[in-house]
Amino acid sequence: MYYVAKVNSEMCSTYKCNMCTLYCPEPNTLMYDKEQKHGNDHGTSWVDEDRCKGCAICVYVCSDLLNRDCIEMAMVTTED
Amino acid sequence: MSVDIYKINPEFRDIMPKDILDLEDNATWGAEKRGISDLTDKKELLEEHSLCAGCPEAAALRYILTAIPKPEDTIIVNSTGCTSLMFPHIALHTVHSLFGNQNAVASGIKRALTWRFPDKDKDVVVLAGDGATVDIGLDYTLQSFFRQEKITTICFDNEVYANTGGQESGSTPKGQVFKMAPKGKVFDKVPMWELAVTSGCQYSVKLTASAPKAVARVVREAIFIARELGPTYIHLYTPCILEIGLSASEGLWEMKEQDKDRFVSFKYVSPEAEEFLKQCKKEGRL
Repeated sequence: MYYVAKVNSEMCSTYKCNMCTLYCPEPNTLMYDKEQKHGNDHGTSWVDEDRCKGCAICVYVCSDLLNRDCIEMAMVTTED
Repeated sequence: MSVDIYKINPEFRDIMPKDILDLEDNATWGAEKRGISDLTDKKELLEEHSLCAGCPEAAALRYILTAIPKPEDTIIVNSTGCTSLMFPHIALHTVHSLFGNQNAVASGIKRALTWRFPDKDKDVVVLAGDGATVDIGLDYTLQSFFRQEKITTICFDNEVYANTGGQESGSTPKGQVFKMAPKGKVFDKVPMWELAVTSGCQYSVKLTASAPKAVARVVREAIFIARELGPTYIHLYTPCILEIGLSASEGLWEMKEQDKDRFVSFKYVSPEAEEFLKQCKKEGRL
């Protein structure tokens, strides 16, 4: 049981932004998918949950620096 | 990858995990223009690492690796410290030297490569912590500047010997208390960026890793200048969040705070280097 970052892709794809992907200290973890999502104009960031260490720097960038609140920390659960 | 270092057997492509396929399809080896925008969707040179969650040093290494102009012709020399945990995971040639003698080893490698490959640009980059650069290896670091070795030296300054429990280093600010330095530091922080200028560096920059694009630009400029003119030095603040008592998400905030305080931007470019950078910009290399 641990926290990982979860991106709300519906909100994320309304912004032309990929700032969180630059600030994540983990490589190949917080990535950006350029394809347009949810009928919005932009792509969305996504998290490779197996690699995320749960530092929440992306939440600081998205919520505190940019006021966009598209990322939150969520508890990892098993599929069953 | 565009240089044929790594090839997946076509018969096995359908059962390969995405991580492995990305190495061939989505990596930036040999790409003409590499840069900070590769961090968003390309396979990085750093596969993964075992540093703490939220470590600013890890973020800084991502920026540096993405800014290296020719990774296939780059050799990184590193020294003992947290950074040495990351180097086994990067897709570059790295040499791990003894604690402190990284600049001496890099000088030798650069000279050997210049002799062996006279027609090729081979970049030698030193990545070491403040203990290796400012304390234990100060002699080797400054001597390599005096000799005008064509290498780039990058110091990850976390202002403490972090992975041995928190002893003060030469680059700890005055008065700072750590777990293993309870009385507080009695003398001032060593201004290594100024020593680099006095010792003959063509380019010396002090900054924090709070702005990815700025770090990438500085690294690129430093490597180009080191190729042609002489030694370059980058002093990069990457705080140890554990030793200064911050939580994992506060590293970036701390660096932004220090942008206005101890790590106010410092940049020295020698007149020749300035001329050279203008020429690089004209040619579109920067």
